[in-house]
Amino acid sequence: MRSIPHSRRSELILLLFAALVAALGGALICLGIGLELWRLTRAIAVVGAVIVAALMLDIADPRRDRWLLPIVAMISVLGFLLLWQLDSGAAARQLVWIVSGAGVMIAVYYLIEDVRDLSRLKYTSGLLALALVGLTLAFGVEKGGARLWLAVPGLISFQPTELVKIFMCIFLAGYVSDRAELLRDDTRPVAGFQMPRLRYIAPLVLMVVFSLAIFVGQRDLGAAVLFFGLFVAMTYLGTGRKSYALIAVVLFAIGAVGAYYGFTHVQTRVDMWLNPWLEPTDRGYQILQALFALAEGGLVGTGFATGGGAGIPAATTDLIFAVAAQQFGLIGAVGIVLLFALAAYRSFAIAWQSTDSFGALLAAGLAVVFSLQTLVIIGGVTKLIPLTGITLPFMSYGGTSVVVNFIAVALLLAVSRDCVPHDPRAEH
Amino acid sequence: MRQLSRNIKRVAMVPLVGFALLCVYIAYWQVLRAPALRADEHNTRAQERLEKIRPGRILDADGEVLLDARQAADGSWERLYPASEAVAHLTGYNDSSGLQKGLRDALLNVGRYEHPLAEFIEGPTRGNDVTLTIDLDAQRLATRLLRRQRGALVALDAKTGAVLTMVSAPTYDPADVLASDFNYQLFQQNPNLPELNRALLGLYPPGSVLKIFTAAVCLDLDRVSPDTSFDCDGRYEIDGAEITCPRAHGSVTLEEALAVSCNTTFARLGRYMVPEEFLDYGRRFLLTEPAQLPLPSRSGRLGEFTGEDSDVLLAETAFGQGRAHLTPFAIARMTLAIASGGRVLEPYLVDEIIAPDGRVIAKSRTHEVGRAISAETAATVAGMMVRVVEDGTGKVAQIRGVDVAGKTGSAENPQGEAHSWFTAFAPAQSPQVVVTAVVENAGHGSEVAAPVVREVMVHLLERAGALY
Repeated sequence: MRSIPHSRRSELILLLFAALVAALGGALICLGIGLELWRLTRAIAVVGAVIVAALMLDIADPRRDRWLLPIVAMISVLGFLLLWQLDSGAAARQLVWIVSGAGVMIAVYYLIEDVRDLSRLKYTSGLLALALVGLTLAFGVEKGGARLWLAVPGLISFQPTELVKIFMCIFLAGYVSDRAELLRDDTRPVAGFQMPRLRYIAPLVLMVVFSLAIFVGQRDLGAAVLFFGLFVAMTYLGTGRKSYALIAVVLFAIGAVGAYYGFTHVQTRVDMWLNPWLEPTDRGYQILQALFALAEGGLVGTGFATGGGAGIPAATTDLIFAVAAQQFGLIGAVGIVLLFALAAYRSFAIAWQSTDSFGALLAAGLAVVFSLQTLVIIGGVTKLIPLTGITLPFMSYGGTSVVVNFIAVALLLAVSRDCVPHDPRAEH
Repeated sequence: MRQLSRNIKRVAMVPLVGFALLCVYIAYWQVLRAPALRADEHNTRAQERLEKIRPGRILDADGEVLLDARQAADGSWERLYPASEAVAHLTGYNDSSGLQKGLRDALLNVGRYEHPLAEFIEGPTRGNDVTLTIDLDAQRLATRLLRRQRGALVALDAKTGAVLTMVSAPTYDPADVLASDFNYQLFQQNPNLPELNRALLGLYPPGSVLKIFTAAVCLDLDRVSPDTSFDCDGRYEIDGAEITCPRAHGSVTLEEALAVSCNTTFARLGRYMVPEEFLDYGRRFLLTEPAQLPLPSRSGRLGEFTGEDSDVLLAETAFGQGRAHLTPFAIARMTLAIASGGRVLEPYLVDEIIAPDGRVIAKSRTHEVGRAISAETAATVAGMMVRVVEDGTGKVAQIRGVDVAGKTGSAENPQGEAHSWFTAFAPAQSPQVVVTAVVENAGHGSEVAAPVVREVMVHLLERAGALY
């Protein structure tokens, strides 16, 4: 009988630790709201789904990253425990989504025999991304001021933007890895900058302009920022030229100023970011409630399961971090940020350890999307930047968000499996 | 490939720095700015949290409940006022008035009373009970005596400085005030200002009760003795101003002048001191200092003796008029200093703070601030005040078997009839209680304030076992 490899064991220990957190948190909630204690298995099931997934992934190929899944399990279970206090119905649905997400992750991991093959699907991905965006624009349903939802009434509704992130990453990684040399070397000077020829960069620019325009049209500012950041990062990675990043930042600044004067909802976001006390009961209400929740939490928090969701708009989705910060205090809030930072770091590490440029770029793209999304929403909740509606990965309530993030993890794990050289000593 | 890896590491730096920045910024809100945010007027969270706490009760010295609470259907705590109007100015009528405001942290067990880990250990907190030094029976008595009047009464324990009674009239029923918007409007618009705690916030010309202060100053400075004689022909002219007595008292000693409350004699005492001395003793007696109680209170003023008319003003102030405006509480505190041999005691109202588990977490003690006058001067002034009650203007306040030391006052004011003052302590030899009362526009001190003070004093002396 073969012994469990060392890194597999440490992953399992970390996952069991997450299960312990789930059990304790679940027990506290059950006691608090007067449920039978056995119902804490709901919280354990969140981690259980990830543990089962981890074991099943190993049947196919045990050479993969060992950090991402424990972090994902930990974040998911914290989110689930908060959600359970705020809205037990939503928590029950979230559990279904997490289990489904873990299932989809296994399926994707198995379906992709070699992640490098995905580069052949780059144009398909690009077109799918455009199609999804187009469909949302044409048939989208408006929820909370943004047109983000595609729905078959009574059956299913989902947020295509979430899936577009994955397709965009595949497209950009494929395109940039194919054209890296051309983008980098076949340049000519334009206004003092070495610019690649238009025909090489045109599809990229078109893609991004199109999606940005659409996201601004959909009023989904968070997503617009996300895609812009992804585009800038991928261009820089493809060319190694900081000047492109610089140009992009200037363009972004111009675009931001334009958006401020062009769209009232952008104005609202920025004005209330600068001074929410101007309209404390109206436009500044959301951000002030988030800040009050942070203040209420203080250094050590008001304590687990002591409420705090009341009064915060979108407490179960975009602003769940504010609830966490109230209950867990600064210590817990920083801990959660560190969990996200660790997940981002591992994703980037998979990227820079990759020996294949497509794999590296795909992982880097997913890492950029993941970290930007986290920064945009937590930064928004803490008034570091204007607040824009976007989910906190694995923590916010939302089916599409959870499932798509599991797909992203599946891709990252596939890159770590197929493109990262493995130290044979780590296996035994 | 190597270059790509390097670039990815560079890109990774950006969000990782972002995460670090985020942590710093979260700390800014959760620690540095947290107190300001918690106190923000738009923040209803703190209020909601406080509404879930069972507030502590306020009790009188004998354990009678003055403020209680009952849980309403929505889980919030409704305040009950079992002692009603007799203690309305103490309990207040909501959480931002009276002791409910002043003792908020103790009653709700928050702020400095809150154990940082309380919520983890014992769940939702319960407030602390607060025991006052107040005697509810005396409150009821004084409230009844001042019914249909405007005025205030303060009684202090002469040995400790504890506030035994504090009544302001007209008073109100806290439960009634909040019963309807209409009631609240009536309450707010009542021209007699029932919400005003006149004991601590009413600024009145002290009138002749200030003569004991003037006498104490001149005696302590050794400029006069009780036997120093003065001539009163009914009027005294100084720098063109005229100060009069109702009648010519003839030749009187200082002691006799106090007993009959001779204005010209005390106006003449203005010549025996300089304004700085007068003001300095005012500070020593804390005459213009607000109370150190968990209730709002005002500073008084004696006047500024800097202008050309300073001699006139000092003469006028010396017998209690001029521009002096003092609170009944300050007069009581001054009387207390004479009663306690010249030592100045800072009165206190809260006796004990008792935690939900019965532990006493705070206990008040007598707080001696300093000395205003020598023990000798205090004894002399006390003796002169006994004469006031024995055969002077304060005869009404005599109590069989006890020597009462007192002083009447009839403070002229622009609003009409003189304000009726009386301040006294007893027994003169070993003082137990100090009682001061003012009744607005009621006439002479001997007629209205003195009988009120006498009745409350009898009750408090009986309670203290000093009357048989």
